[in-house]
Amino acid sequence: MNKKIQRSLAVVSAATLLFGVSAVSSAGAAQKTVYLAFQAPLTGANALTGQDELTAAKFALSEYNATNPSVKVELVIADDQGLAEVAAVVAPGIAANKKVIGLIGPAFSGATQASLPAYKATGLPMISMSATRVSLTDKKAPVNGFPIFKRVVANDKFQGPALARYAIKGVSSPSVYLVDDKTAYGKGLADYTKPSIVRDAKIAGSDSVPENTSDYTSVVAKVKASGANVVIYCGYAPDAAKFVKALRDGGYTGIFAAGDGVLKATFPNNAGNTAAEGARLTAADVPFEDVATAAQMVAYTKLTGIKVPGSYVTSTYNATNIFLTCIKQGVTTRPGMQNCITAGSFKGIAGDTIKFDRYGDIIGGAAVGAFTIKAGKIVYLGVA
Amino acid sequence: MNLQVLESQFWSLCLQGVALGFIYVLISLGYTMVYGVLRLINFANSEVFMVGTFATVVAQVGILQNETNSQSLHGFRLIYTLTFALIFSMLVCGFLGVLVELVAYRRLRSLGAKPLGFLISAIAVSIVLLETIRIVTYSRPQTSPRLLDKWSFGEFAGANFRIDTVMVIISGIVIFFTLDRFVTKTRLGKAIRAVSMSEEISKLMGINLNRVVSLTFFIGGLTTGAAAFFYTTVYETTQFNVGFNLGLAAFTTAVLGGIGNLRGAFYGGMFLGVLEQFASAILGSQWKSVTVFTVLVLVLLLKPNGIFGEAVQQTRT
Repeated sequence: MNKKIQRSLAVVSAATLLFGVSAVSSAGAAQKTVYLAFQAPLTGANALTGQDELTAAKFALSEYNATNPSVKVELVIADDQGLAEVAAVVAPGIAANKKVIGLIGPAFSGATQASLPAYKATGLPMISMSATRVSLTDKKAPVNGFPIFKRVVANDKFQGPALARYAIKGVSSPSVYLVDDKTAYGKGLADYTKPSIVRDAKIAGSDSVPENTSDYTSVVAKVKASGANVVIYCGYAPDAAKFVKALRDGGYTGIFAAGDGVLKATFPNNAGNTAAEGARLTAADVPFEDVATAAQMVAYTKLTGIKVPGSYVTSTYNATNIFLTCIKQGVTTRPGMQNCITAGSFKGIAGDTIKFDRYGDIIGGAAVGAFTIKAGKIVYLGVA
Repeated sequence: MNLQVLESQFWSLCLQGVALGFIYVLISLGYTMVYGVLRLINFANSEVFMVGTFATVVAQVGILQNETNSQSLHGFRLIYTLTFALIFSMLVCGFLGVLVELVAYRRLRSLGAKPLGFLISAIAVSIVLLETIRIVTYSRPQTSPRLLDKWSFGEFAGANFRIDTVMVIISGIVIFFTLDRFVTKTRLGKAIRAVSMSEEISKLMGINLNRVVSLTFFIGGLTTGAAAFFYTTVYETTQFNVGFNLGLAAFTTAVLGGIGNLRGAFYGGMFLGVLEQFASAILGSQWKSVTVFTVLVLVLLLKPNGIFGEAVQQTRT
């Protein structure tokens, strides 16, 4: 009911963004301050994803600023609500401010695509932590992000087949029911998962259940009627938790598998440990608490108030650190940043090497990891 | 189109549709009661529902100290916990409803504001509640512990009569008929109906208008709070944006049945709950909204006052 109003408010805030940022920038210019922008959904239905990611950007920045660097970095935060139409209005405000030399984000693929024209026109380098739509880095796509767009997350072309492979692993006569959440992410992942299922297993049925659905009983009825022994869900954790719970309560005993949108410490908590137990999850995103040091986790919790980091925290931390590494090397302009990111080689928090190909994906593809839930905890098993 | 699912799941879909329908009915009473009296659509009701779901979690986890992953309760402890959470959620929503009326509508009413003013005020309150809860909960879903072990009475013709499903249906019937009797039989109920028929004449009859309006918001809040409790008990999770879809469904329920009309809301809820289940099962979940809103438009084309708008006009609140 209030979505339209929220969008209108976003338009108003976007209009003020440019002026607000400019004012802050000129005040801080004497102190050698540069700005990184952060764009993700911070309000609205998808706020959770953006809020989680924001904690990582803030944390990386706090670590950097704590070292008393010669160039101070501040964050300009923009809320695109994960919606293309809002992003199209927000992006020009950021793009027009020359003090902003890099963009962490956008978080969502649709919002990224809508933001590209503004950023391309002003040459603002961007690194997305969670936009996985294949076309963004596809040289044949009519609208791709070349040359400014990079991402530190595996695209769905890699994740889809890995998810299918992992979901049916060790299952005799696998019969798969494929469910997506109708979002650009969920539908896209399902589309790249389906060919592998058709090749290696049987499709028992499929359904597209809108995001934020509360009642999954009709889908459970269909899964049961189809006789499927594997259910693959392409969507996000809050809905996956409701779905898997409904499946288990409805008497379904087969495999439940899902992609990176579900790989979140909150998933087993929200689903109840019994329902989520044994779920098979894939992701290019490693849980932050698995790769951060104990001291970093203490500092992260102190800064954000969050004990269990959400999804894409690791990738956002990596994306922010790539910019910060370049700034440490003396980069303070957009062209300098573009050269640094394009030519440089960076270290991820897990010790991995990050180097981008011409169209913005990590060379060799970001690895897709296989995870499961054991005793209510996410356990990393290896490469899917 | 998947008709095969009906062979084994027909009655299961009916049962689940009715249970879901009762949750819609209880929320829609919050819309319909207020509309009946003030001819005002209280859009903030969806967020009152959302606050109720969090109140349920607070009652179970915060006040009664059950762990999120605690074992199911049994016997007296179970009944006490569920009853306490139900009453707590109802009261929180009831008083929140009264507060919303005081803050957002009363002054506008006394100044004789145009309907658009009420609408914007309702949306503003809605956003304030939504964003406040979002900030307080860090946008995260909150889980309610499984205090009620979901055992089944048995399966009949493929329909699984699980305790929570049965509880929602029986409680929904009890709450609905209690409210129906309250509105038709008691002195206060008659006052509410009198105001809904004519504010001016009610005032001349000595009815305290502000008191009746507050009472209406309170009762609407109570039923919405009950819906929030049942929702949280069945689905065991809530989130700051939970009110949007449920609120929209409940509003549709009210309009389908004939807004401002208690029994209409009841039939509308049953119809919508079952229709959603069958549309999702046969056509696919992606067609659920298309089907529901196509039916809504068709109904309004043929019967602008809703399906039961005229047949049960006399029971208007």
